[in-house]
Amino acid sequence: MFAVQGKDPTMRVRATALVIAAVTMSAANELTAPLETYKAAERRHWAFQPVKDAAPPVFTAPAEKTWVKTPVDAFILGKLKQEKLKPAPAAGRATLIRRATFDMHGLPPSPEEIDAFVRDKSPNAWEKVVGRLLDSPAYGEQWGRHWLDVVRFAESDGYEYDLHRPDAWRYRDYVIHSLNSDRPYNQFLTEQLAGDEIDPDNEIHQVASGFNRLGALRKNAGNQEVASSRNEVLTEMTNIVGASLLGVTLGCARCHDHKFDPIRHTDYYRMQGYFAQAQPHEIMLADEEEQKEWKSKVDPLRREMRLVQSQMRKAEGDDKTRLEQKLEEIEEQMPPPLTALYSIKNDPEKAAPIHVLARGEYLNKGAKVGMRPLGILLTDEIPELPVATEKPRTRLAAWITDPANPLTARVMVNRIWHYHFGRGIVSTPNDFGRMGGRPSHPELLDWLATRFVEGGWKMKPIHRMILLSSVYRQSSRSPMESAAADRDAENALLWKFNRRRLAAEEIRDSMLFASGRLNTKVGGPSVLLPIDPELVLLLKRPKLWVKTKDESEYDRRSIYLIHKRNLRLPFMEVFDMPDMMFSCARREQSTHAPQALELLNGKVSNDLAGALAERLLKEHKTAEARVHHAFRLIAGRLPNAKEKARALKYLAEGPADPEVWKEFALGVMNLNAFLYVN
Amino acid sequence: MPEHVRFNRNRREFLTDCFCGVGSLAFASMMVREQALAARYNPLAPKPPHMPAKAKAVIFVYMAGGPSHLETFDPKPLLNELHGQKRPAEFGEAKYQFVDDKSRLLGTKRTFKKYGKSGIDVSDLFPYQSEIVDDLCIIRSMYGDMVVHSAAQYQMMTGRVIPGFPAMGSWVLYGLGAETESLPAYVVMPDARGAQEAGVPMYTHGFLPAVYQPSMFRPGKKPVLNLEMPQGVSPERRRKTIDLIRGLNEDNLVGEDPEFAARISAYDTAFKMQTEAPEIFDISGEPQETLDMYGVGDPKTDDYGRRCLLARRMVENGVRFVCVVSGGGSGNQEWDAHSDIEENHTRMAGQTDKPVAALIRDLKRRGLLDSTIVLWGGEFGRSPESQGSTGRDHHALGFTMYLAGGGFKGGTIYGATDAIGLKAVENPVHFRDLHATMLHQLGLNQDQLSYMHQGRKERLTEVHGRIIQDIIG
Repeated sequence: MFAVQGKDPTMRVRATALVIAAVTMSAANELTAPLETYKAAERRHWAFQPVKDAAPPVFTAPAEKTWVKTPVDAFILGKLKQEKLKPAPAAGRATLIRRATFDMHGLPPSPEEIDAFVRDKSPNAWEKVVGRLLDSPAYGEQWGRHWLDVVRFAESDGYEYDLHRPDAWRYRDYVIHSLNSDRPYNQFLTEQLAGDEIDPDNEIHQVASGFNRLGALRKNAGNQEVASSRNEVLTEMTNIVGASLLGVTLGCARCHDHKFDPIRHTDYYRMQGYFAQAQPHEIMLADEEEQKEWKSKVDPLRREMRLVQSQMRKAEGDDKTRLEQKLEEIEEQMPPPLTALYSIKNDPEKAAPIHVLARGEYLNKGAKVGMRPLGILLTDEIPELPVATEKPRTRLAAWITDPANPLTARVMVNRIWHYHFGRGIVSTPNDFGRMGGRPSHPELLDWLATRFVEGGWKMKPIHRMILLSSVYRQSSRSPMESAAADRDAENALLWKFNRRRLAAEEIRDSMLFASGRLNTKVGGPSVLLPIDPELVLLLKRPKLWVKTKDESEYDRRSIYLIHKRNLRLPFMEVFDMPDMMFSCARREQSTHAPQALELLNGKVSNDLAGALAERLLKEHKTAEARVHHAFRLIAGRLPNAKEKARALKYLAEGPADPEVWKEFALGVMNLNAFLYVN
Repeated sequence: MPEHVRFNRNRREFLTDCFCGVGSLAFASMMVREQALAARYNPLAPKPPHMPAKAKAVIFVYMAGGPSHLETFDPKPLLNELHGQKRPAEFGEAKYQFVDDKSRLLGTKRTFKKYGKSGIDVSDLFPYQSEIVDDLCIIRSMYGDMVVHSAAQYQMMTGRVIPGFPAMGSWVLYGLGAETESLPAYVVMPDARGAQEAGVPMYTHGFLPAVYQPSMFRPGKKPVLNLEMPQGVSPERRRKTIDLIRGLNEDNLVGEDPEFAARISAYDTAFKMQTEAPEIFDISGEPQETLDMYGVGDPKTDDYGRRCLLARRMVENGVRFVCVVSGGGSGNQEWDAHSDIEENHTRMAGQTDKPVAALIRDLKRRGLLDSTIVLWGGEFGRSPESQGSTGRDHHALGFTMYLAGGGFKGGTIYGATDAIGLKAVENPVHFRDLHATMLHQLGLNQDQLSYMHQGRKERLTEVHGRIIQDIIG
């Protein structure tokens, strides 16, 4: 099915079988848009080439042989040597365990964990740490957060009403659980794209396929047109597949042929064809009793609404306006929806034909199309299928997860690399097209992609290989810093490790951890924090913000806080949490004064500084011991002599004054040594 | 140190922190490097415009909900003649939210008179703005693509009909950087009565970095979040804490580290904001004459008057973009006059006419109007047909906005709607044309002002903004 230029006979067999199936099925349809053709030059773009399994370079010099701990190192060292660069020396153990714990868990290591590793004389000390990090459930919470960024997960509709999706957390938990159990990535994608088609009786599959409904949803007042809304829904479903799963900017072809990449306007709508039958589907979980009670509240409201609506049909002018207002008031009294799974199902009856839309406008209908994957990855003669074909998304998933698809595995291993090193082998993880970055190490990318698929699409072995490598264990400072920076300012070749600032969630979670308040409860409904009422009043529907009753929930990890599109917590927003409208492949790491104001004057940090101060005072007797403890909790190391002297001098002004200790605790939470990982 | 390098420290301190041990480097090359670093690590550093600029700041007095052009700046005698009749077929079709083919045309009860040297018509709804008409450049031929609030609001602010794209305030800040360290450079002052349909997302930075986000002011004396120290902390203690943070951070600087230097500098800026901004927010030192001019103290105009005065103080102190919102909460608390255009617009105009006119006058007498663009208007206008007997529906096919200052030609009318105010028929101006022209006055080229996102070079004006040459000097 793929335009494989290699000579893999199995691919050709499969392609033929698909062609036959397609021809039989498309007999009755009336497709009009002709299939596209692609120039050889277009097909030559690196990302569309089959993945090649290159052998890692071999080194013979003893120093190099020692440095190369995993094949990953061989590829990196090969490139460094070519550029006459050298890797940085190994990072110290305390630095390394802090780096890896943030990387894998989004939390700092405990002082005990640091000590244990620093003191461990056994030759496999690091392997033990890596094993522990991979086995902890905190791994899924950290890497799940990355995935939620990529699929622009949120728990509200966005747009003006921004209605909540009270059961959307089930998808979040599915992601965390999938990562912790190392669910094969091909299965993970298939369940998300088509879980409902594959096994409608499996709740997990149904929750997973809620993936297709993660986008923002317009439900606005006035005469919203059904066709326009449907077009928006289809756009959301289609675009995310390009950005998050394939690493192509498919959305650019919604209005016209892609300006830079060989993705035609028709390709876009043929991809959309896979979703033509897809309709939202709520699977009720509430028991009969709850359903009855809910119905008893809703029925009278609905009756009232119907009455008002019928009056509206006859009413004119002022009366009509008043009735509209009344309608909205009744709607606001509706109880929250019953517990349900947000899934999707095919409804062939409702499947409208898919047309190529000029400028993406739903009224500008061009020729009809069926469904077909991206043409650039197919041989020209592969026909399209009618949109009424059975189990369309299963077909799409099969194409995406076909080992011969040159994008899927590459895109995912690149994401993994990106989160470990702060920069992908392709620096634009959502764009493998011409406008994206070229791979800095194409052979390594392919080698990783091959191992990934060969290893049953499991992520943990890839993590392990990277964490055990020498390149991961380098210092973030190089002795040849300025010479190396002249040659490779972006550090694309990894002559040192990239220091990074903690992400918004990591900062908050670590402050909770350091203060001893972190509630490590896993999973379940999302938490709504009590927040400044003035922020809530900026919402069109402020009443939706009902704070969680159980206060112990307020100290849970940030991934369990509600992801509401129209109200990001100021703390999260200021530290670059994305807006959940588009797939986010790479977070910004901005530095500006409002961040300092948030950490100095904000409620989150002041509250937790108080808790940290109490902890220091309770757990240690002397100022010196407390300062040591604070640094170990916050920076994962003891203070150096200068730092210690400075801290003690500050504290000497009020050694018994809780206010001074609170301010000291706030101070250390503002340090670069806390906010950055070396 | 070049002026646009905004680290809050003198050159020597900066160099000590960033480049210790490299004293032998050539001075000139250090300067070049410094500028590059400043831009990289202080994204708010002022940036030179793409071309000579007429203006450097914008104040958008945003009449939320959609003010009627037919009751304000676009007199239509024929509409009054046709009052109560069906729309004559020759005016063509129109898509509305609620108005249908049973509706009848609605004449206006307002009276229009010619004002100023320019002799431009303004209705009696605006006794104050009519007096400054010679400073206004009135576009009577605005049009947009959407007739529901949220989508139209997104388009007006971001150029797109869906949320997720950066607002013009964020674009301008991204293009020009900030000229203040005491204040947030992009400010939205919402109406305390509530939000707009499109909510905060219409004002935000979308996919641009968070540094370009708006500061959403809150009502009352403490408009900026986190600007006040927490209760119970003495200023002396806090100053010492900030010194502690700086000291500990500096203890850890190794070699050239501009990113950490920028972070240290952000604390200086934060402290500066904390001490200087409250003085700017405090309008009590303004002369009584000025307070009166804005209508501060008169219950009707007090709220909007205060916010307009604050907007002037912001711009005076280097703020780049201010949006002052009139209206919020339910429709009738905005300019969204579905049921009674007279009652609604008389009330809304009563709250804003005097403050808006005062703002323009005040900017002018202080010599700030030349470098400040004032934009007046809403996400659409209102229908020539009545909704019910006395209301008007949303209407995006032709309506009025005006500009003042910033190099726009005062005392000008541009474009026209047809004889009943239904459609923009002469020189139609789309939101993106307005955006392109405003950017142009700010010295920004709409094509150069772009940001790579999801594989596209995104711009405020999407793919086609037309600069309206006729209205700029």
